[in-house]
Amino acid sequence: MTSIKKIVVIGFVGSQLDSGKGMGRWEKWRPTVGLTQREDLVIHRLELLHAPRHRPLVDQLVADIGQVSPETRVNPVSIDLADPWDFGEVYGALYDFATGYPFDTEKEDYWIHITTGTHVVQICWFLMAEARYLPGLLLQTSPPRRQKTGEVGDYVLIDLDLSKYDPIARRFAREQADAIALLKSGIATRNDHFNRVITEIETVAVRSRAPILLMGPTGAGKSFLAKRVYELKKARRQLEGPFVEVNCATLRGDGAASALFGHTKGAFTGAVAERGGLLRSADRGLLFLDEIGELGADEQAMLLKAIEEKKFFPVGGDREVESHFQLIAGTHRDLRRDVAAGRFREDLFARINLWTYELPSLTRRPEDIEPNLDYLLAQHSTELGRMVRFNKEARRRYLGFATSPAARWSGNFRDLSASLLRMATLADGGRIDDDLVNAEISRLGTLWQPEPTTTECTLDGLLTEAELSGLDLFDRLQLESVVRICRESRTLSEAGRRLFAASLANRSSNNDADRLRKYLARFGLDWGRINASRPKT
Amino acid sequence: MTTFLELDGSEGEGGGQILRTALSLSMCTGTPIRIANIRARRKVPGLMRQHLTAVQAAAEICGAELEGGRLGSTRLSFVPGPIRGGDYRFAIGTAGSCTLVFQTVLPALLRADEPSRIRLQGGTHNPLAPPYHFLERAFLPLLRRMGAVVSLELQRFGFYPAGGGEFTASITPATLAPLTLDQPGTRLNAYAESFCAALPIAVARRELDVVRKRLGWDEPQLLLRGLSNDQGPGNALLITLEQEAVTELFTGFGEKGVTAEAVAAHAVDQVRQYLASGAAVGPYLADQLLLPLALAGTGSFTASAVTRHSLTNAEVIRRFLGTPIRTETLDSGACRISVG
Repeated sequence: MTSIKKIVVIGFVGSQLDSGKGMGRWEKWRPTVGLTQREDLVIHRLELLHAPRHRPLVDQLVADIGQVSPETRVNPVSIDLADPWDFGEVYGALYDFATGYPFDTEKEDYWIHITTGTHVVQICWFLMAEARYLPGLLLQTSPPRRQKTGEVGDYVLIDLDLSKYDPIARRFAREQADAIALLKSGIATRNDHFNRVITEIETVAVRSRAPILLMGPTGAGKSFLAKRVYELKKARRQLEGPFVEVNCATLRGDGAASALFGHTKGAFTGAVAERGGLLRSADRGLLFLDEIGELGADEQAMLLKAIEEKKFFPVGGDREVESHFQLIAGTHRDLRRDVAAGRFREDLFARINLWTYELPSLTRRPEDIEPNLDYLLAQHSTELGRMVRFNKEARRRYLGFATSPAARWSGNFRDLSASLLRMATLADGGRIDDDLVNAEISRLGTLWQPEPTTTECTLDGLLTEAELSGLDLFDRLQLESVVRICRESRTLSEAGRRLFAASLANRSSNNDADRLRKYLARFGLDWGRINASRPKT
Repeated sequence: MTTFLELDGSEGEGGGQILRTALSLSMCTGTPIRIANIRARRKVPGLMRQHLTAVQAAAEICGAELEGGRLGSTRLSFVPGPIRGGDYRFAIGTAGSCTLVFQTVLPALLRADEPSRIRLQGGTHNPLAPPYHFLERAFLPLLRRMGAVVSLELQRFGFYPAGGGEFTASITPATLAPLTLDQPGTRLNAYAESFCAALPIAVARRELDVVRKRLGWDEPQLLLRGLSNDQGPGNALLITLEQEAVTELFTGFGEKGVTAEAVAAHAVDQVRQYLASGAAVGPYLADQLLLPLALAGTGSFTASAVTRHSLTNAEVIRRFLGTPIRTETLDSGACRISVG
C-alpha cells in the first residue's frame, strides 16, 4: 500500500455497473467510483475509456469522483467501437490505445481495471497485459457482500507473471525437482558440473523433441540417463511408445541396416519374412542409439533421412514407412574427429549435435562416489532381498581406495556397481567388513591390470633392445608399470601422485614428481620422451 | 540537531485522534514530533486518506518538513515551522470529515500572525466525527467565550458517502483565556432537527416522532429540514439543547439498513444520559475542550462521562505542555475535569 509511484487506473466505463440515476447511485456499488472512495488507496489518475454515446455518464462519473476523490484526475478517452463484442475490433482499438499511450513505468504503476466493459474487452485486456503491451497489473474489483452505504467493495491485483505467485512457483519447482530426481533416479550428485548437465537435460527433455547426444566413456551412465529421459517424457505424456536401446557396435554387416530399418520379405538371402526394424519399434517412443560412431556409412545416411523426414525405406522396400521417435545418441568417441577423418557424416553429426552433453567419467567426479555407493548398495540390497551395510572402518577404507588415484574405474559406474554387487553378495550377515573390502580392492587391482599385449610394447621405442636385455625382469616389470601410469596421466605431477599415493597419505614424501623424475632418470628417461612415445589412439 | 517528541500512536484510543491532537500541539508549540505505530492495531494500519489530508493541511499551514507522510505509513515525523495565516482550501477525499481537519488546524491558526479564511470541502455531517452544527452551536461559542474570534458558514451539506459538502471559517488570532463550567445553566430552548436529502421525507418524520414520544417535546420543537437532492443522499438528526452556560448537541445519522426509529433512539439516549448527569458538557464536548483549556493554561468543567478519547487527549497534552489534567468523580456520577 505504501507506494511512492503514482497509481494510474486504466479501464472502460461500466455502462451498466457504473451507471445510476439520481442520488440513489451513491447507495449502489459502482466499480469505477468505488475505487476512488477507498480510505486506503489513492488513485492519482484514471484513464476512463468510453464509447462516445456514454459521454453523459462519463461526465457524471467525473463529477462524482471529483467530489469523493479530489486527489484523482480523470481523463475520459473516447473510443468508438461499432461492436464492443467483436474481438478483432476491440483488440485492434485497445492495441492502438496501448501502443500509443505514454507509459512511464519509472514513475507510475498501471492497473488495468477488468471488471467493467464487455467480456471481449476483458479478454483483450488480459491478452495485452500478458503480452506486456500493457505494462501493468490486472485490477479486479468486486461488490461488497452486502450493498450498504459506504461499503466500497474489494479489489484484487493480478500479476500475470506466474513466478510471483509462491504456491505456483513452488509447484513448478517441485515438479522440476521431481523430474531432476527422476533423471538422476535418486542419485544425489555432488558434482556441480554434473548437476548442471542434469538440470539442463531436464529442461531440454521437457521442452524439445530434438535429438540429444550423450558423450562419455563406457559406464559413465549414458544408457541409464537415456532411460530416465524416456521415463520423464513418458510421465509428461510426451511419449507413448517404448524405449528401444541399441548398441551400434553390435550391428555389423548386412544385418545392421536390416536390424535398424527392417526389411521386406525376400530382400536378401535369408530374408524369409518381413522385419519391422528397431526404428519402427521405437515409433512414438524413444530410440537410444549407443555408440553411434560405430554405424556404417549406409546406415548413417539412412538414419539421417529417418531423423529429418520421419520416413525411411526398409531394406529392399520401395515404399517408405514412418516412425516418429525421439532420438538419443551415445558415443565414447570424439565424433568431431571422426567427422574430420571422414568416418562420420558431417550432416548427421550436425543434426544430432544440437543438445550435446558430456558425462564425466567416475574418476573425474570422485565426490560422487560416496552418494552412488549408498544408492547402488541400497539397490543391490533390494535385488538380493536383504539389507547390506558396510562396517564403519570397512566403508572408510573402501571409499579411501575408491577415491584414490589407484582406483582407475576404467568401466566407470559399471565397475563400481559390479564391485558393490560382489561385496553385497559375499557379505555374511549383511555386513561388509575389512576382509571383504581388502579382497575386493585386490580383485579390482587385478581387473585393471593392463592387458599383456600392451605391456610387452610399453618400453618399445623408449629403450633399445640392448638396454632392455640389460634389465632384470624385476626392474623391467616395475618400469613398465611406471611408464604406463605416466602415459595415462596428463602431467608428471599427476603420475607422481598416483604412484606415490601411499607415501603421500603418510606424509612421508612431499615431492612425488621429483621422486618420479629421479626414478625415470636412472633409465635415461624423462617425461617428455615418455609423452612423445604415447601410442596414438 | 532536532530534538523530537516521540509518541506511540498505538496507545490509548490508538486511532486518528492522537495524530490530530499531536499535530495541533506540534504546530502551536513548535515542537518537532515523531509518531510511531500509527493506527497499529487497526484492521488496515497506518495513515488513511483522511489522516493524510489532516497531516498535509497541518504541514501547509506551518511549512512543516514531513517524513513518512504517505498512505499506509505507520511512522511520521513532522517538523513545524512558523504558523502562517491566510487563505487556505482543503479538499478531503472519501467524503472524509471537514470538521476533523478544521479542528486540527484551528488552534494553530488562532496563534497565527494574521487572520485566516479557510474553505473545507468534503463531508460536513459524518458518523464518527463532530457534525458541522456541533462546532457552530456547541464548541465555538465556548471558544469565543475564551476570547477566540471564529465564525463559520455552511455552504453545502456533505454526507457520507457522496461528500460534496463545504463550509468556510474565518479565524482571527487571539489569546485564549481560562474557562470554568460547573453547571449547564437553565434551559432556554430545545429542538430536534431532521435533515434529509434525497431520501423519503417519512424517514425524518419517523425520527422526530421518536423524539416527541421519548423526550415529550411539542410539535414546535420538532423541525423537519428538507435539503435539496444534490446534497444527498443523507440524513442527520440533530438534537440541540440551548442552556444558559452551554449549548449541547447530539446527533444520529441515518444509515441504510438501520431503521429511522433506531437512529433516533440512539440520539435520544445520548440526550437523556447527558440530562441525567446534570453535568455542563457531554462526552464529545469534553473531548474538544481539553486542548483549548490547556492552551489557555487552566480551566475546569463538569462532564457527563470521560471517554477514551478524552484520556488519550489528556495524555498527549501532558506530553507536550506538561499540563496536568485531573478527573474526579462527583456524587451525581458525573466527573469534574480540571486542567492545569
